[in-house]
Amino acid sequence: MTRTMLWSPLVLMITGSLLLAQGPPEKNPAANNPHLGNPQSIRSGMALYRIRCADCHGLDAGGYRGPDLIAVMAAGTTDERLFQTIRKGVPGTDMPAANETDAPDDDLLMIVAYLRKIGSVAPTEKPVGNVDNGGRLFAAQCASCHRVAGRGGRIGPDLTRIGAARSRAALIREIRTPSEFIPPSYETVTVVTKDGQRIRGAKKNEDVFSIQVMDVRERIQGFVKANLQDVIYEKDSLMPAFGPARLSDGDLNDLVGYLSSLRGADLSVR
Amino acid sequence: MRALLMIVIASATLAAQTGAPQAPQVTSQDLLDGLKDPTRWLTYGGNYSGQRNSPLTQITPENVGQLVAQWTFQTGTLGSFQTTPVVADGVLYVTGFNNNAWAIDARSGRQIWRYRRDLPDDLKLCCAAVNRGFAVLGDRLFMATLDAHLISLDMKTGSLLYDVELADHKLGYSATVAPLVVKDKVIVGIAGAEYGIRGFIDAYDVQTGKRAWRFYTVAGPGEPGGRTWPEGDAYKRGGGSVWVTGTYDPQLNTVFYGTGNPGPDYYSSAREGDNLYTASLVALDADTGQLRWHYQFTPHDVHDWDSTQVPVLGDLTINGQPRKVVMFANRNGFFYTLDRLTGKVIVAKPFVQTTWAREVGPDGRPVLLPGHLPDEDGEKTCPDLGGGTNYMSPSYDPATRLFFVTARETCATFFAYDQKFKAGEQYTGGATTRPRDQKNFGALRAIDPVTAERKWEFRYTSLSSSGVLTTASGLVFAGDGDGNIMAFDSRTGKNLWHYQLGFSMRSTAGTTYMVDGRQYLLVPSGSALTAFALPQRP
Repeated sequence: MTRTMLWSPLVLMITGSLLLAQGPPEKNPAANNPHLGNPQSIRSGMALYRIRCADCHGLDAGGYRGPDLIAVMAAGTTDERLFQTIRKGVPGTDMPAANETDAPDDDLLMIVAYLRKIGSVAPTEKPVGNVDNGGRLFAAQCASCHRVAGRGGRIGPDLTRIGAARSRAALIREIRTPSEFIPPSYETVTVVTKDGQRIRGAKKNEDVFSIQVMDVRERIQGFVKANLQDVIYEKDSLMPAFGPARLSDGDLNDLVGYLSSLRGADLSVR
Repeated sequence: MRALLMIVIASATLAAQTGAPQAPQVTSQDLLDGLKDPTRWLTYGGNYSGQRNSPLTQITPENVGQLVAQWTFQTGTLGSFQTTPVVADGVLYVTGFNNNAWAIDARSGRQIWRYRRDLPDDLKLCCAAVNRGFAVLGDRLFMATLDAHLISLDMKTGSLLYDVELADHKLGYSATVAPLVVKDKVIVGIAGAEYGIRGFIDAYDVQTGKRAWRFYTVAGPGEPGGRTWPEGDAYKRGGGSVWVTGTYDPQLNTVFYGTGNPGPDYYSSAREGDNLYTASLVALDADTGQLRWHYQFTPHDVHDWDSTQVPVLGDLTINGQPRKVVMFANRNGFFYTLDRLTGKVIVAKPFVQTTWAREVGPDGRPVLLPGHLPDEDGEKTCPDLGGGTNYMSPSYDPATRLFFVTARETCATFFAYDQKFKAGEQYTGGATTRPRDQKNFGALRAIDPVTAERKWEFRYTSLSSSGVLTTASGLVFAGDGDGNIMAFDSRTGKNLWHYQLGFSMRSTAGTTYMVDGRQYLLVPSGSALTAFALPQRP
């Protein structure tokens, strides 16, 4: 009898008992959420959200003391992930866990359904316009600054999932008047060094003593303010306003059609 | 004879080694003396006045630029400090997230003991598992816990001496305040106003943990103030939590505590009336808990403006007369100087942008401006729910006669809606949103408490929850919301030094103490404690 033969049954027994102890892998209830799109469930989800979530995340889920959940969803967070975060909380932060006695799975699933309702553009909002022409316009006019599915510039926000995150009306507003609202990390700044060099870019971070910038050539760099001649905060977005003279209504319609079709990309390597 | 002498010496040595217990480490007189021995830091505010003004002068405006980090202590746990460490004779006593606690060598940052609390998994916490510090008397430490208990620990070992329940945590009660020891009692407040609790301040016997008195911050039917609530059960869930440590005037034998928001926070139709004693300052007899006077900063608050800021005690000369005062920078955006004997307003002015009240009238009540009662459609009001300031401790420097506070410039849209009360569930009756064009910022502001006028400010690029510390050498220590600890000239507000800690300070800007002839600045931020001192001469 070899050592291997002697050990094999024991190994099998241990492995078997471990498997038994673990049981089948726990299924995430949000993988099959019966409340998605159900108006009654969404209303209940809203009531639950207002009681349990709104004080920190804001009534509009746009963030207050807690993170902006609309942005979290726009970045591609899955329903399973949302469910798990609500169930388990975020240890070490203000976000508590929700135990099953106080908050049964069904409550959490209705909250997820509500968030999905307010946080995404329904796939039923079909792209209109000539999507192919929109794609060409995007490649010519937008891709040097915006990235889609890993290709394009980085000075502007990544638009891989923008179709799921923004309505047509919001997209049109942001193309026609981009300076109306500039999201954090994309505000325009020009730093002037002591030797008069001017560096313009998007402000990535700042405190009293330093500022961090991505310049228009996509170089990321920090500056100590004491070593600068000036820091100029600009009201206008780095993105030019695409008015009718620059982008006709027809082309705008096609471009928005293309953007509305962007609902995420699978970047995993197989 | 010589042999006898040897025996006597030997026994004396043995007695010294093993023998008679040492005198208690911290006496009631030590607490009364406060920072007269400035090597120590024994109460939340440094002394009973809550001034956070240390007499230490080794670190000065001239040399503060040379401060260097001496050591860092990492808790190794998740969660951020909001604690004010107790410092006694070269040892730091520190509370942290989830009611962890440590005794740490003040010279080296090395741990001496650690306490872990076994907390239930059904805590109801609005705002993270934080704790604001120990109180101390004799050889005992006192900590309020997240499951709404008061515990006493052995200072030498960290072992549990007693554990008493304040209230049932399952109903939404919790405790995060640093207790305050006054004579033979340890005073604590309860938190949980976002869960429909009835708030209170309690006093317990230092030795036995037996409750000596309770003052309800929400007046009940038939009690004075009871008619400021509607008939029925509204008072039972009226809020009024107490989660920041008060102050004590030994001559008046009076403790002063700020009280929290009424519940539900925003939906005011559930609680018509002034809602005493929420959003107020209460002056209580330290022996009995009897109410001596109260002043309500925000009658019928609808913006979650807890008045749980530190009531700072001081002596001012006003119109040529010496006055005993309480200085109070309130979350509602007004700074107040009150008479400490009567609670009457001496002066009150906004220290941040306030849109809800025009002024504080001669009767002490705010003169309200229209359009600031939250409803289903939302009403924009400044400051936001976080307030003009919040739980972060201010400081008063008697040398410059200036009050220093971390100010927040913010606005929010407040919504209110009816909400059915369910025990143990959040009960706010509303929520807020941030106006899209809102640009918030924070600032350190110096206020003359005689006039309530601003003397100087230093602006931050972000909102800060850092407290303030001052020293007799003319320094102010404070922090922004981005992780910088900074030093300023107290007279001018000029920034003299900063250090990026990697996480913002919450609640305090640290404390200062002395050991082996060196003055240290001790700063809790994130889950780390960092100690700074001047370089040692060779």
